[in-house]
Amino acid sequence: MTQGELRVTAEPVDNHRCKFVVSQPLHAAGVRRFASAAEAKGSPLAEAIFAIPAGGVTEVIVSGNIVTVVKDNPAPWQAVGKAVGVAIRAAAASGAPAVATKTAPPAGGGAVDDDALYERVARLFDEQVNPMVARHGGRVELIDVQDAVVMLRMGGGCQGCGMADVTLRQGIEGMLSQHIPEVRGIVDITDHTSGANPYFQASKK
Amino acid sequence: MPRLLLLLPSTTYRTTAFVEAARRIGADLTVASERPSTLEAANPAGLLTLDFQHPERAADEAQVFARQHPIDAVVGVDDDSAVVAAAVAERLRLKGNPLAAAVAARDKHRQRQLLAAAKVPVPGFALHQIAEDPRARATQIVYPCVLKPLRLSASRGVIRADDPTAFVAAHARLSSILAGCDTEFLVEDFVPGYEVALEGLLVNRRLHVLALFDKPDPLDGPFFEETIYVTPSSAPAGLQKAIAECAERAARALGLVEGPVHAELRYNERGPWLIELAARPIGGRCSAVLRFGERASLEELILRHALGMPIPSLTPEAVAAGVMMIPIPGAGVLQEVRGVVESKAVPLVEDVQITAHPGERLVPFPEGSRYPGFIFARGPTPSAVEEALRAAHQRLNFVLETP
Repeated sequence: MTQGELRVTAEPVDNHRCKFVVSQPLHAAGVRRFASAAEAKGSPLAEAIFAIPAGGVTEVIVSGNIVTVVKDNPAPWQAVGKAVGVAIRAAAASGAPAVATKTAPPAGGGAVDDDALYERVARLFDEQVNPMVARHGGRVELIDVQDAVVMLRMGGGCQGCGMADVTLRQGIEGMLSQHIPEVRGIVDITDHTSGANPYFQASKK
Repeated sequence: MPRLLLLLPSTTYRTTAFVEAARRIGADLTVASERPSTLEAANPAGLLTLDFQHPERAADEAQVFARQHPIDAVVGVDDDSAVVAAAVAERLRLKGNPLAAAVAARDKHRQRQLLAAAKVPVPGFALHQIAEDPRARATQIVYPCVLKPLRLSASRGVIRADDPTAFVAAHARLSSILAGCDTEFLVEDFVPGYEVALEGLLVNRRLHVLALFDKPDPLDGPFFEETIYVTPSSAPAGLQKAIAECAERAARALGLVEGPVHAELRYNERGPWLIELAARPIGGRCSAVLRFGERASLEELILRHALGMPIPSLTPEAVAAGVMMIPIPGAGVLQEVRGVVESKAVPLVEDVQITAHPGERLVPFPEGSRYPGFIFARGPTPSAVEEALRAAHQRLNFVLETP
């Protein structure tokens, strides 16, 4: 694919959170989450997004072909979204890795052990969440845990489902807070527009 | 934290907007749907199944639930769940509409009877049986007329007929659409004129107009597929006042007292005419164009009102905004949508949301009613917004596999 054909599609969740689906992967090696400009250092795409003037960007998550951006100013995504698109195109055009590979945390350091949390969340997903959502043909994939924030991707009947947010907020988030209260947040990096077989499909006016 | 019971049909477009609004205002949320969530057992306080087809039964179920998890407010989001919300509110003595009022708003014939009795200007109407001989009936109708289902939404099944031949043909299509779900339909006089949509919030019987949308594309039939809504309306101030008064009288005639209303009206040289009024907010994803005060969403206003929380502002942002319900491009199976990036790049366009998924069968009006997506724009004037919406739409190309 040439640079001219790169497509970036914005999917705002609300005025604070927006997913950008890119027509080619930007970071194939798992998920990277950046909670500050300092954390983004060394990852050109994240650095550029944090540097958007008056963007108010507080978080950038890059996973495969999806870039999730969170900002703290309530302005609509029109202006910031275009700047994010420019940053994505520039990162893709540069030929260099858009995002640096995650480095292992120093042994014994840090207040939260993401690896241990990952294991517990993965077990919860395997033993409880997925058997439940499988009844609607769905599945939930744990992508990563960074700074106690769980990143997941929905598939099957959950992808594009009209009730996916209810599953996420009322189901999965509730189970996480009940069983693993150390989890600080949950981020859905699913490309819901590509869901070809959603269990519930919005149809009413 | 106050507990909110949010009634979300499994097929609504509004899940994200309402769930996010509930989170923003800090409500303890219980989502009730007509079909069970697979995670209900894991979060019995947060997920509930209610029988939306039988509001009284749903109220029984909600009452049992509320013994363990006291409920402070109940909100429905569409025509059916608004009736269930009224039943639950009555039973639990919460803020809401009387059940009879919500039922009247839901039933287009009952609604017209009450409005006509209260001298609210409505088109002439008559109730008919779908089993009647359409050829015999066609000779007794005043033309042009509009055939209309009693309970379908999104203009599904609404067909204009200009003569007996068209009436018979429209009747055949409507019979097919209503097969197995209804035995009656309305025949209304067609009211020529400009159409507007009014979004409002009833607070203790008083209607607060949140937005008045112009519909720049003429809705003259034979089908009534919505396209563009733009606000603020360009109607003269005096006419806007008359439109708001007409909607408020209609709400009062139906007995509605609290919560969102969405009204469709026409106006011509004889003034405003009430076409429909529903005890729910605007449909689809259209509410995304509305913002109030410090950028609060329509859903946030509705939830705050239901919970008795302060509402910072009922005044919409002082910019023009609009939404296009993307017209159904034809009959067939959707393969892909091209030009989304180009469409989003149109100046003033905020977002293009494609809600149809690859492999989905698209069904045009009047049999279908599911729009394949929405385009949103915001700008200095309504005409600039309208122009941007049309330009963005022109850049979209829906690739269908036709039968």
